[in-house]
Amino acid sequence: MVDIVPLSSYPSYIDLLPSIQTCNITNLPENYFLKYYLYHALTWPQLSFVAVVRPKNGYNTGGTGAGIAGDVSGQYPKVVGYVLAKMEEEPADGKPHGHITSLSVMRTHRRLGIAERLMRMSQRAMAESHRAHYVSLHVRVSNIAALRLYRDTLGFEVEKIESKYYADGEDAYAMHLKLESMWMDWKAVEKRDRAEAKKNKKEGEDGADDEEDDADEGDAVGDLGKAEQNGEKMVNVKIGRALGVGDLVEKSDVQS
Amino acid sequence: MPQPLNSKDQSLFRQVVRNFEQKQYKKGIKTADQVLRKNPKHGDTQAMKALIMSHLGQLEEAFVLAKEALRNDMKSHICWHVYGLLYRQEKNFDEAIKAYRFALRLDPESQPIQRDLALLQMQMRDFQGYIQSRSAMLQARPGLRQNWTALAIAHHLSGDLEEAEKVLTTYEDTLKDGIPPVADMEHSEACLYKNTIIAETGNLERALEHLEKIGYRCTDVLAVMELKADYLLRLGRKSEAEEAYTALLERNPENSVYYNGLIQAKGIPETDHKALKALYDEWVEKNPRGDAARRIPLDFLEGEDFKQAVDAYLQRMLKKGVPSLFANIKFLYSNSAKRDVVQSLVEGYISGKAGSQANGSAEGKQDNNEFLTSTYYFLAQHYTYELSRNLTKAMENVDKAIELSPKAVEYQLTKARVWKHHGNPVKAAEEMEKARLLDEKDRYINTKAAKYRLRNNENEKGLDLMSKFTRNETVGGTLGDLHEMQCVWFLTEDAEAFLRQKKLGLALKRFHSVFNIFETWQEDQFDFHSFSLRKGMVRAYVDMVRWEDRLREHPFYTRIALGATKAYLLLNDQPDLAHGPIANGPNGTGVSEEDRKKALKKAKKEQQRLEKIESDKRDARKAAAANAKSQSVDGEVKKEDADPLGNTLVQTKDALKDAMKFLTPLLELSAQNIEAQCLGFEVYIRKNKYLPALKCLSAAHAIDPSNPTLHLQLLQFRKTIDSLTDALPAEAAEVIDTEFEKLLPKSQNLEEWNESYLSANKNSVAHIQAAFLTRRLNWPLWTLPTVTIEEAVVALERLSKWGSDPTAYAEKASKKWPESSVFQLN
Repeated sequence: MVDIVPLSSYPSYIDLLPSIQTCNITNLPENYFLKYYLYHALTWPQLSFVAVVRPKNGYNTGGTGAGIAGDVSGQYPKVVGYVLAKMEEEPADGKPHGHITSLSVMRTHRRLGIAERLMRMSQRAMAESHRAHYVSLHVRVSNIAALRLYRDTLGFEVEKIESKYYADGEDAYAMHLKLESMWMDWKAVEKRDRAEAKKNKKEGEDGADDEEDDADEGDAVGDLGKAEQNGEKMVNVKIGRALGVGDLVEKSDVQS
Repeated sequence: MPQPLNSKDQSLFRQVVRNFEQKQYKKGIKTADQVLRKNPKHGDTQAMKALIMSHLGQLEEAFVLAKEALRNDMKSHICWHVYGLLYRQEKNFDEAIKAYRFALRLDPESQPIQRDLALLQMQMRDFQGYIQSRSAMLQARPGLRQNWTALAIAHHLSGDLEEAEKVLTTYEDTLKDGIPPVADMEHSEACLYKNTIIAETGNLERALEHLEKIGYRCTDVLAVMELKADYLLRLGRKSEAEEAYTALLERNPENSVYYNGLIQAKGIPETDHKALKALYDEWVEKNPRGDAARRIPLDFLEGEDFKQAVDAYLQRMLKKGVPSLFANIKFLYSNSAKRDVVQSLVEGYISGKAGSQANGSAEGKQDNNEFLTSTYYFLAQHYTYELSRNLTKAMENVDKAIELSPKAVEYQLTKARVWKHHGNPVKAAEEMEKARLLDEKDRYINTKAAKYRLRNNENEKGLDLMSKFTRNETVGGTLGDLHEMQCVWFLTEDAEAFLRQKKLGLALKRFHSVFNIFETWQEDQFDFHSFSLRKGMVRAYVDMVRWEDRLREHPFYTRIALGATKAYLLLNDQPDLAHGPIANGPNGTGVSEEDRKKALKKAKKEQQRLEKIESDKRDARKAAAANAKSQSVDGEVKKEDADPLGNTLVQTKDALKDAMKFLTPLLELSAQNIEAQCLGFEVYIRKNKYLPALKCLSAAHAIDPSNPTLHLQLLQFRKTIDSLTDALPAEAAEVIDTEFEKLLPKSQNLEEWNESYLSANKNSVAHIQAAFLTRRLNWPLWTLPTVTIEEAVVALERLSKWGSDPTAYAEKASKKWPESSVFQLN
């Protein structure tokens, strides 16, 4: 049977990446270096999920360490599907939103609802962890099955057609789905913050109020895409092949 | 001594640095030359020029110049820094670290040098050095959170959990305006990171307490839930754990790990099938469309309960036409009673014994048709599977499925599989090609078709199929793109196909390609040592670092390492193969010297012909490139492969030494793989390295003392040791005496030993074969009805290896397996 697991589970299943890469190049024409998968796994670890075939005798269990209920790491089960997702780094409309870099399920494992489950898990994480307003993706205009999944099952809308989006000249539907309804009640979290702060104050003033300079502390999430630290410049660093995905713009410190 | 520059040249020098930073390499070289014309011995300029040259693919020349720069200015931190950077490019990390250290001594305040040193120390896992560097960097800029986190990581990875936690806490204590906003991911991740460090100390009580305090405001919601559930279960706080796993299942009911957790939390014993089934039923009700809760009970249910459950499961999935149904069911077959139940149920559906069906309407008929094809398809796979194999029935069923649904790719694909199991890779490849033609735009089926070509040793046809989905205009064409996209499966299959054909050059070439991909994957982590600190996702980063340390335990590596080692062993034993496959059996196989020389001459000629073709191709591409100026976009020049046929690899002076490159990580990281241990023995015994050879035997013995290959090797080792003419050093002899005594005692009569092995394993072809081989006899396998075609193929290969005439054997085998092609000799 097939298990749907988070790539960044506890313990971590990051050792599935080579098999995810193989699943991708088995199924799809748009392929990437392993480093591009690493880049996703290490920048938005919450957003990617994997479908694996549970080994005959299950996973390692019964240890006393992490993963007492079952540990996929080190077992290298067969990967039959994955969703690789990210947050748009410099959203043109200024709204944080997610993007599906790649999704595929082996032909032999269709009709089990795997793709749908993978998508829903990723969407939820985008909303909860990154406050994504919506998620976008591209799909080949000829890919009826995928279109049906995105539009009919998941509720995506076609935003526009991008002509010659794919390397072989095919057009893509650019689709998106609103995610605000899945946002968490952050007001409640902040309220609890205030309650805790009050409680701590009452318990006594033993906090460390020191001289430490902390000018750089607490940059907001939305600033991550912008230039910071003087001395660091924006440099184009090409990690994945620009096939279906634009060049990555990453900050890179160059020696000065 | 350093030459002082005049102010104009000084500004030119600064421009060189700018040019480099902006990747204007050609301009940079021009500017540098301008400075050097007047100041030919200016070390810093020479160093910068060397650095730029290295980025233009002229690493060797760059090294020469950098050394000259150092001679001219030993006291320049720039020269040493560049020297280190060049070593880093060459992946000589130890030397690079030394050079950086010199540079840092000359300019202790330099941030860039300090940072480059730190990154390399991390890459090399020099944790003590990394702690030092990170402490210095923290002191220089204590306001930056990532410097604190980095130092904590350094302590954590070096094993000092307490210090790691302390560093993180010290930073937290400096947050004077209270905690950062909820949306601050860097903070959230740093908190969770600290939490996992606490858990690693083993003090789960404290970890849980800490998680309760921070968890409600962490951005990674799912991680908090998983951590909490795991801690609670390990702490034995059952009812809370139950709640936690229930919450996880409500998010994702398709993860069997969560069910395991829930069952452990509820304390349901493995034997209480009733309670277990009730639990899963509850989740089926909550998620009627899910699969896991329906499927898992089939694992533990028995007898009539099993029959009822599997009947319902099969019918539901067959009606839905789920193609992976069989893949989902076959794991049950290790229990033969369950296998038989499934078989009789599904055979029954064909004869109309499925529950509610056929209601006469057109729609009903349509559904019924789909149900029937799915059922034939299931049976075809069932009878192909090794634990329920009946290839005649498999073929009948797949043909019926195809008849009803001729356009279904899966059915045609299964037909190809049936042929594969018939031992007929020729027909298998042809049938798979038919499947491919049913959906030419689908890469999955294209992949399968290419793989089947390779299994039939049709390397070129396989590559040609791959080209339908690759970028063929890249340097090196289709094959170049497959390398660039790290298509490990293809390179591995290609290598194995070449190895089967004894084309060792090409086989080694591909094995090395995959080896190099693993090196690239290891190198890939480098950029993340700095990148991840900026992004703040430190848990994922630490997970990656730990994974990289066991990267080559991956089955992809195991497979190519085993293959490459076999290729090198073959090359060592039959050196003539360096010149390509030898028609009539190479040296060492009992062929007359005259015939051997003739065959060798022919092989050499063929090798030269192939080389000529490749070099012509290369020249043609060069000419074309000169016209089109085909430099890739990012300015780096991609070099042509100078040895596309692997001739340099195959003409090695020491095949066994080259094998060690593959074998060492294999023995280290896959010590539990018995095939690896046995191959390790083969390499070491040929090198006369008796202690490591014995170590492999002991390891293999611990995994499976009755392994057939091991049986032969034990005997070989005994005989080798007994017949040594030169005495071993006393210490080695003593170790061998005591250790080998445990495996095969000296006093043991070898013939009796072999006989008792034979009688203990009289139902296994491979074991009996091994017992016979100790007498160098090929046992007539037919006497045991369970013999498989794969085992017969192995025996055939052995005959040719011995130089015996395989004709009679092959004829007999052909008769036993009439559908096969593998016994047709030519």
